[in-house]
Amino acid sequence: MGSNQEELTSRLMDDIDPDLLEFIQLRVNTFIKWDLVQFFHRNPHTTDLPNQIAQYIGRDPRIVAPELKALAASGVLHEEELQGMRIYTLAPDDDMRQRITRFVEACEDRQFRLKAIYHVIKGLH
Amino acid sequence: MIPSIPNLPRLATGISGLDDMLQGGFLPRTANLIEGAPGTGKTTLGMQFIHHGIAADNEAGLILTFEEFPIHYYRDALGFGWDFQHYEKENHLRVVMTSPEVTLSDLQRLGGILEAHASQIGARRVLIDSISHFERISSDPVTLRTLVYQFINVLKRLGLTAVLTRENPALLGETPEDEEDLAFIADSYIMLRYVEIESALAKALLVLKQRGSNHARDIRQYQIGATGIVVQEPFEGAQGVMSGSPVMTMRDAFQKAFFASKNRPPEKS
Repeated sequence: MGSNQEELTSRLMDDIDPDLLEFIQLRVNTFIKWDLVQFFHRNPHTTDLPNQIAQYIGRDPRIVAPELKALAASGVLHEEELQGMRIYTLAPDDDMRQRITRFVEACEDRQFRLKAIYHVIKGLH
Repeated sequence: MIPSIPNLPRLATGISGLDDMLQGGFLPRTANLIEGAPGTGKTTLGMQFIHHGIAADNEAGLILTFEEFPIHYYRDALGFGWDFQHYEKENHLRVVMTSPEVTLSDLQRLGGILEAHASQIGARRVLIDSISHFERISSDPVTLRTLVYQFINVLKRLGLTAVLTRENPALLGETPEDEEDLAFIADSYIMLRYVEIESALAKALLVLKQRGSNHARDIRQYQIGATGIVVQEPFEGAQGVMSGSPVMTMRDAFQKAFFASKNRPPEKS
């Protein structure tokens, strides 16, 4: 791909709500995190262990555990130590919850999804 | 006859036939075990108890699920005309997905997450679906019984009246003896069974015990209809219903034989 074409692609893909773009680049920057954000949005009262959450989304627990930790560090989830167990819930912060809702609703649109996928892949390299 | 605790309010399930059997419903702050095979309607009974509390008695409810996704409860409830998603939006209901080990540890501490859910909505009823998942914590029956006993006491401390579902792997027949241990801990014990009668499968319900209250002792047929569970009249003319394969009583067998021979068309000569 030539540099002009890359630039055009980048400009097209950047045509996205800046707040959501930042949300993707800084918080939902892997596909596992994407799955987790969708899961917690749909099941907002979930309180569980990494192994269980991995089962709920059908992913490898060894991969899910660090992703949950990263989401907690970025304020999307709330992490707690409970009698030696690490448990996760959706962060109670209203602003964050509204952002998650906007992200999940935006993902219903194919164009937005393609752009979001582009940014996740770009961030992985 | 067992005397009932006088003038104590009851928490109706909203299942008319069952409430009659229970003398009006469950006693407050009790743990009520519903045990049955897959598809017998344990979760439906629990959901109906939660729905009735919200819709008829203005009592908020919690559902703790250890396996099913909340969306499945919303869908199944809506099938009966109960809008659980709306109840959640209005803060009358919380469907909490978690695991038994987290639940137990969380409830033991002060101001845990589940306690917060209960107090935020003022929950008075809870559905635990299902208590069978506690077997994940320990396979030792004594430890398991202690854990469940502790769990039930925490629910009572929170002022909740609980319906606990329990899976019975046998489609037809009675509960194996080693599976009956938890029934001693619960305040009431309701068995749901499939029964085969004249080559057709029906569903039967029996209130095996209700601590501190009288209750009906007959076996009732029930159906899961468009608006939930409907408990019907007692089974008549059959013995061994809860074993899954009832046999007719001697009298009924004679009656059937008599009428069958009387109604037999005359043989052609």
